[in-house]
Parts: sequence; C-alpha cells; structure tokens
Amino acid sequence: MKKKTWFGLWCLLLSIMVAGCSGGSGSTAEPGKTSGEEPDQPAAADAVELSFWYGWTGPEAEALEKLIAKWNEAHPEIQVKGLSQSDYQKQLTAITGGNPPDVASQFGQNVVPWGLRGAMMPLDDYIAKDGVDLDDFVPAALSTSQHEGATYAIPTAMHVSMLFYNKDILKEAGYDGPPETLGELKEYIQALSIVEDGGRLSRLGLWPGMDAYTFSYAYGGSFYDEAAKQVTPDHEGIQSAIKLSKEIWDQYGSDNLDRFSSGLGQYMSAQNPFFSGKYAMTVDGEWLPTFIKQFAPDLNYGIAPIPYDENHPERKNPGNVTTSVFYIPKGAKHPDASWAFIKWMTEPEQMAEFTAAIGNLPTRTSAFASPLYENVPGFKEFLDYSASENLKSFPATSFTNEYMTEFSAQVDAILRGTVSIEEGLANVKEKIQPLVK
Amino acid sequence: MNASAPVHSPRPKARWSRKERRYFWLGLAFASPWIVGFLAFTVYPFFGSLYLSLTEYDLFSTPRWVGLQNYENILQDDRFYTSLGNTFFMAFVSVPITLAASLLIAVVLNFKARGINYYRTIFYLPSVIPIVASALLWTWMLNPDFGLVNMALRAFGLPDPAWLLDPRYTKPSLILMSLWGSGAGALIFLAALQGVPKQYYEAAQVDGAGAWHRFWKITLPALSPIILFQLIMGLIGAFQIFTESYILAGGKADGGSLGGPEQSLLFYAVNLYQEAFVFLKMGYASALAWILFIIVLLMTLLLLKTSGRWVYYGGE
Repeated sequence: MKKKTWFGLWCLLLSIMVAGCSGGSGSTAEPGKTSGEEPDQPAAADAVELSFWYGWTGPEAEALEKLIAKWNEAHPEIQVKGLSQSDYQKQLTAITGGNPPDVASQFGQNVVPWGLRGAMMPLDDYIAKDGVDLDDFVPAALSTSQHEGATYAIPTAMHVSMLFYNKDILKEAGYDGPPETLGELKEYIQALSIVEDGGRLSRLGLWPGMDAYTFSYAYGGSFYDEAAKQVTPDHEGIQSAIKLSKEIWDQYGSDNLDRFSSGLGQYMSAQNPFFSGKYAMTVDGEWLPTFIKQFAPDLNYGIAPIPYDENHPERKNPGNVTTSVFYIPKGAKHPDASWAFIKWMTEPEQMAEFTAAIGNLPTRTSAFASPLYENVPGFKEFLDYSASENLKSFPATSFTNEYMTEFSAQVDAILRGTVSIEEGLANVKEKIQPLVK
Repeated sequence: MNASAPVHSPRPKARWSRKERRYFWLGLAFASPWIVGFLAFTVYPFFGSLYLSLTEYDLFSTPRWVGLQNYENILQDDRFYTSLGNTFFMAFVSVPITLAASLLIAVVLNFKARGINYYRTIFYLPSVIPIVASALLWTWMLNPDFGLVNMALRAFGLPDPAWLLDPRYTKPSLILMSLWGSGAGALIFLAALQGVPKQYYEAAQVDGAGAWHRFWKITLPALSPIILFQLIMGLIGAFQIFTESYILAGGKADGGSLGGPEQSLLFYAVNLYQEAFVFLKMGYASALAWILFIIVLLMTLLLLKTSGRWVYYGGE
C-alpha cells in the first residue's frame, strides 16, 4: 500500500513539473487574445481554433492582429489566434515535434528548402480548387515559393531595392539627375566621393559592398542553370557585378572603408549615412522612404531605377525580389481551415491593408492600385518598379541557404582581396554543385 | 547510495529484508526526477546524436543511414577548418590571458585594504550581466569613432583599430570582452587564496623570501588545483563560444550573415548552429558535435594527465 502511495506521489510531482513547463510556454503574451475573446463575438461553439505564428513584432504585429480580428468577426466557425513569434527556430521544433501551428509566416528563401523536405504542405490542390489566380502574382515573388511545379507557400509581401540619391549632393557636383546606366554609376561614385588627406574618406558616392544580387541581375547574371542542373556563380553577369564592386572597393581600400563604415551612424536613426549625407547614393528597399520621413524629413532625395547595362537596354529596371510568405506546416490539424485563412489573407484587399500598414510591397499586381498606398512615402516609385519585367529572385532550391551563405562569404573575401574573383566564385561552385540533386 | 551502505552486509544476501527493499525503492523514488531527467535529456540525446551523426537527417523526413559519410565530408569542408582555427585561437590565446588576469585581480583583491569588499563587488559585477547585454554594450565601447576604448587609445596617441569590422581585430575584441568578465574567475581564485595557510608565508618571510618568491613558490603551487580547474572549464567554455559571435556578427533571424567579416568570428558552435538550423543538416551537425566532444575530451584528458607535473595537492 505504502509503495503505491509513494509511486502516486512521484507521478503527481512529475505531472506538476510537466504541466508547469507547458503552462509556462502557453502563457506567453498573445496580442491576439483581446480581440479573440471579446464577448460580443459570435464564436460558434464548435468553432475550429487556428494558431497562427508570425514573425512580425511591435506595430507590424498590431497591423496583422487587426486583420485577424476582422477575419474572426466574419468567420465564427474558424477562429484564429495570432502569436508573435520572431524566433523562427520554434517553427522547426514545433513541426518536428508534431505539434505545429496551423498557419505560419516565413522568409521566402526558406520555403523551398523546407518545402522539399516535407515541412510545408504543398498548396497546389487548394489553389486549383479555389481558382486562385497565380498569374496575378509578381513572377519573381511567386517563384520564391515554387519548385518544379509545386507551390509550398503564398507570398504575401515582397521587397525590392532601388537607387536612392541625395539631390543636393548631386546638384552640388553638377548632376541634374541620377545615373541611368552602370557606366554612369561608376562615374558618379568617383565624382561624389570625398577623400581627405591621408586617404580618410568623408563621403562615399555609393558603398561598394552593395547588394551583389541586384547588380548581378543588372548585368544579366543568373545563379542557376535549371536545364543543365549546374550552379553558375561564375556567370559572366555575376562576375561583372563583383568586378564593379571590387573596382570601387580597391580604389579606397579595406582599411579606409572599414574605418569609414565603422564611424557611420545606426541604420534606423537620423545618423543613417544616407540621411546624414555620408553616402551620396544608396541602394535600399521600399521601407527606406518611411524611415526618411521619420528620421530625416528634410532630406532632399530622389528614388531611381537601378542603373542598367548600357549595352543591354532590354535589361532596364532590374531588381532582386525577396518575400515573406504564409504556409501550412506539415502536421497541421485543420489544413482546410488554414488554407481558407491564408487565401483570405492574401486576397488583394487584405494584402494591401497589411502591406500598406507595414510598408512592404504587395505581391499581387491587382493590389498595386489600392488607394491605401497613397500615403506610404516612396510607394509610387516602388509600385511602378514592381511591375518591371526584369525583376528576379534567387533560384529557389533545396540548397538556397547554403548557396547564399557561401556566395556572400566569398564575395566578402573577394572584396577584401583574400581571393581573386575567379577563385572565389570557383570556390562557391565547388562547394555548392555537389548539393544539386 | 552511501546512506544505505551500512544496511548492506558485505556478502550479497539472497534477498533483502522488507525494510531494505523499502528503503531502496524510497531512495529511488526520491532520486527519480533526476534519473528520469538524466535518461531523457542527457543519455538519450547523447546516443541519439551519435546515431544521427551517421545519417542524413533534415528534421522532417526519417534519417537515412550514410555511415561515416558526414565525417568524411567534414574533413573536406573549408568552413570546418576556418571555424576550428577561430575556436583554437580563442581557446589557446583568450583562455590563458583571461586566467592570468583573473589571478592578478584575485591577488590584488586579497590585500587587506580599506573598502576591499566594495572593490571585490565591483570586479565581480560584470559577471552578473547576461552575455547578450554585455555584447551589445561592447559594440558601443568598441565603436571605432565614438567608442570609449578608441577614445582612450587616441588620447595616448595609439592606433585605434576598427575593432569589430576589421577581421584582424574581431577576435582580440572578444578577448577584451572576456577580460572584462574575468571577475568571476577572480572570485574563485580569491577564495582559494584565502585558504592558503599563513604559516607558509610567515616561514618564508623568516627565511628571507621576497614577495615575488613567495608568490612563485607558495601562492602558485597552492592555487594550482584551482588553476587546473579553471583552465579546463575555460577551455570547454571557449570551445562552445557562440553568443558573442551571434550578437556581434549581426546574427539575423534568417541566419543571413553569421561569422562576421571574413568569417573571422565563425566559431565551431556557430558553424554547427548554421549547419543544423539554417541548412537543416542535422546529421552533419551531429557529426560536428561529436568531433567537438572528442576534441574537448582529448584536451581535458591531456591536461589531467600532464597536471601531475605542475599541480600540487596539499594533502599529498
């Protein structure tokens, strides 16, 4: 009898410990709670409850919660509970542990690596059944979610970079407008940079370690040859882009550039080097005009297309697209309901409301015309640019992350002169090609 | 088990008495939370990772047996060698420097000066601050233009490097940071210092030994077991260094740019993390973990083995 008592006690203790653990993680602050539990809400008794993990925080999360509340009101049978969860690793462990959220957000570059490994549910049957018009999506954005005909997620927001220029500095140097071609860009950078005695930089035309992807596409570069199943980091266009960076880099040297860049202010502050005039030009995304309005409202700046290769005018308006997506994790309990929510969230109206609130670009062309974007600074230029046919995105494959990591490591080494351009890019190929399946 | 030892007779009995059995189960019941935790969270993952290291496993599909393939691939991986080199640097440069600094601080703090307790507290304080917070703090201290460190260097007309941006200075930056936290080690040394019997010093002084000789011949040997302990703990810590690099080298949620300029902060654990959670190569990462385990094991054994020559235990 006594033994049993002890055993019972022990079980009790264990169950308390386990309950304590799960209680701890369950009680994390949930912004969605308030909206989901208002008494006047007609949540049906047998309502399906969906958990929705998203990576946005702060004001961006609030914007998303507003949409969730809207959905909950209109759909008493499917109640969504949002959870701001910026630690994406938790999604991995939840899916592996067999207890995933019903809907989650993710970075576009992780979609195909996760999707091919079976962590994301393919959505093609749903898309076909509900007749979602995939042609409405920006092709470069959609392609981040697709691989060999399967669609693993729906891109809900995208980023693309353009050229920002300081009108005052350009005028001072005698330029009426921004550089239009890559040749002009080089000239501008030379003319706009100021080197003081002893090589110290006090102003740069453009930071030479600029986005290698955007400029590779500007030179017509391609990272993967689908037909030949070959990775092509040594593609002529990519080489040209890195050569451009390298030329500017070498002109000033690693020491001066490190020193200069280390003295630059925080990105999200009035001391952002572009805001404070330390960069005459910068290549940055659609969020920058909002920051400028917030931190440097007096800055006299313009937004221009990324300069194109003068020998290839057909490659005008190039760009590199990255996305944020919604997906259904493997093992989600109510996939039909999850899909219904994702479909609704990515309809042009909701997409416009969300992306306008967080200052991201929409991925559907039919959302471009939404009046909601009128008040977002810089969006006129960026929405126009989003319609460009020369937007590309990094090829979505099972090894996208390895490829991008290795590529940026080698570009860093190339710029710093540890390896030559040929060597560096050959290193990438040697390392990544074996991963092609 | 010691508590129940007297109950046992030296000869194994065929059966325990009722009372003995009860005590046995009772003891086991009390120890069971730990036993269960140890089996579930230490033993199982330990052997689980050994198995996984022989497979290709991406978290989502079932592991596929590949034998020693992962280990072979690791030996041909540049990133493995880069990360190993960076980690060895921290282990063999940073650890001894920090250890020496701790010892120095402890010796100074051992003086009976006025308000010594306040000084002791001040030196220990940095250890209370979480690594993430102190790493963020140091990014400001080490800012090449506005940072306190470079302001001081410039005041003396010394060169002011671009600490965290220049690949030559990123690791020295981390050493500087760990020096700031050496108060924790100093506290342990201090406790040991106060345990050194006064008679030794008195006897030495009578024999005319100077301060340096007293330190070299008495203090150091008396502290040697503690030095060995701190050295081993320091090395193990250095081999697992992760947070500082993750924070300072701009770790992003998407795992974008780990490792810092020219991969100079790509430490073993950072590389392992990236392989596991960014590239989803759990098998490969498990193999990396086992290699790390073996390196640390060998290092510790080597230290323990050679310690007989320089570690002095008072009792012997």
